[in-house]
Amino acid sequence: MTKRRWLAHIVFRALVHRRGRTLLLLAVLTLASSLATALGLVSVSMRARVAEETKRYGANLVIMPESARVEVGSGGLRFGAIGEPAYLAQDQVLAALARSGVKGDYSFHLKGVLTLKGVEIPCEGVDFAQVRRLSPWWQVDGDWPRPGEVLGGSDLTQRYHVHSGDLFDFTFGKETVRARVSGVVTSGGDEDDSLFVNLPELQQQMGRPGQVSEVRLLADPGNGPLKEQAACLQRFLPGASVKELRQVGRTSEELLGKVQLLMLLVTAVVLVCAGSSVAGTMSTTVLERSKEIGLMKAMGGSRWDLLKIFSAEALLLGVGAGVGGFLLGGLIAKFVARSVFAADAALRPEFLSVAVGVSLLLALAGSVGPLLSVFRLDPVQSLRGE
Amino acid sequence: MAAIIETSGLTRSYGDICALKPLDLCVPEGEWLTVMGHSGSGKSTLLNLLGGLDRPSGGSIHVRGTDLATLSEDGLARFRRDCVGIIFQQHHLIPYLTALENVMMSQYFHSVPDEAEARHALERVGLGHRLKNRPGELSGGEQQRVCIARAIINSPRLLLGDEPTGNLDHKSTTMVMELLRELRDEERFSIVMVTHNQEVAAWGDRTIHMDDGCLVREERTKSC
Ligand SMILES: Nc1ncnc2c1ncn2[C@@H]1O[C@H](COP(=O)(O)OP(=O)(O)O)[C@@H](O)[C@H]1O
Ligand SMILES: [Mg+2]
Repeated sequence: MTKRRWLAHIVFRALVHRRGRTLLLLAVLTLASSLATALGLVSVSMRARVAEETKRYGANLVIMPESARVEVGSGGLRFGAIGEPAYLAQDQVLAALARSGVKGDYSFHLKGVLTLKGVEIPCEGVDFAQVRRLSPWWQVDGDWPRPGEVLGGSDLTQRYHVHSGDLFDFTFGKETVRARVSGVVTSGGDEDDSLFVNLPELQQQMGRPGQVSEVRLLADPGNGPLKEQAACLQRFLPGASVKELRQVGRTSEELLGKVQLLMLLVTAVVLVCAGSSVAGTMSTTVLERSKEIGLMKAMGGSRWDLLKIFSAEALLLGVGAGVGGFLLGGLIAKFVARSVFAADAALRPEFLSVAVGVSLLLALAGSVGPLLSVFRLDPVQSLRGE
Repeated sequence: MAAIIETSGLTRSYGDICALKPLDLCVPEGEWLTVMGHSGSGKSTLLNLLGGLDRPSGGSIHVRGTDLATLSEDGLARFRRDCVGIIFQQHHLIPYLTALENVMMSQYFHSVPDEAEARHALERVGLGHRLKNRPGELSGGEQQRVCIARAIINSPRLLLGDEPTGNLDHKSTTMVMELLRELRDEERFSIVMVTHNQEVAAWGDRTIHMDDGCLVREERTKSC
């Protein structure tokens, strides 16, 4: 028999011999690691849930060229921006997104002016596919535009008696373009007053290929606090300003942070309690087995041999309880997620290492003191008369 | 004949209590030495020093030429597993292991557990039929024989016994002593055995008497 198999064998025998205490230790470790697993799983599933809800509120970050933000006015009144409108290069923004690691859906916007029926009206060049993804609440009466077509805001179209399907002559500067209005969009916001044109077409008309005046971004909230993501992106965009958009999702994100902190505190308290209970039980065991330890030393077992035997016991308990805690934690998380916020918390395999890690750490941390006394134990003292 | 044990001025004290007064002792290779004396006279203290379980307060102690005082903690553990076999009065078997496994435990610390060899050792002490029994299922005499099998499994040069027959009846005592003599005749190891029993002392080659930590008397056993 190899030494390793023999070690496993006698450790197993010792654990079975004290099955009451072994079960108690297993139970404590399993509960502690299952709690950590469950709270972790619930927290991850909550985060996913909040991220999903945040999506419904659209972009949470907006990127604008620096000088475009010098606005005149106060409170809700805006009198327009001073100076020349400024622009951002699409490439620069895309590169910044890639390098900063900030992920999420985005849409490019180019603001301009065109003339319809002799009146100047605001228009916006967008990529309609991007807009549809980022603003799912836009209701389009008619069709989304194909190349060469435009989309009218509902207020604007009403004011100028424009209907879907109509053909109009739009004038950009000197050039006049005939385009069909494919549909009317109702968003309930500023957009209802604008006319939407395919981004490349407007860029060409304005003589600003590859340039935009605003980028809206729905940064994935699961990637960390929005403030940090904005700051991170800002570092890669020196000529622009990255601002957070106030949105309803923020509140739930803050709430989530607080709930997570609470769960972390509860877990910490439980882990400390479990650790001391493990330490207590282990100490008693070592005390009871002092004769056995003394005997092993008398037989020629070195301090390291003894340490190996006893830490192998802690290790075995830790791993066993970790696997148990993983499964139990998965069940608890499922139950909590379903009953508290009607979501599903799937058992994620990566949490197996969390569960085993927590229980192993507890088992070993709780054994440090007892193991030290095993290390120090004097064989003569422990073997002295009954 | 070369000496397996040589002590000079060996002492051991616990605070003010001097458990072992300066002792010069020489045990030739292969000798069976018996140590007798009243309770508290320092017999166990001496035996623990010889077995490398304890460290002297003064003097020197050489076993097979090794100065035990110079050995580190781990060096002493190595000395114990390579050179010494110990039998106690209380059998000190590991309760959750079978007789066979208790013997194999000693092999584990020494080298690697070898079941066939361990079984053979138990057969030699007449326990071939109790291999799978736990200590709790064995009689006192049987337990002591398991201890003997465990003590000799790694072929030690020195066998120490601290009142090994103290808990045994007359019949078991005789059996154990016969066994020890047989094994010694085969393996040629030395024995130092503590006992209160005059009859047990008669099995040895030489007897030393201790009192209050001092060697007071020494006698050769007639049979040798
Ligand atoms: N750890 C100790 N602390 C204090 N005194 C001890 C210790 N161990 C032994 N003694 C004392 O040393 C003396 C010899 O003890 P011991 O060698 O056990 O005697 P015995 O001949 O009965 O085996 C006794 O007086 C005992 O009280
Ligand atoms: Mg004694």
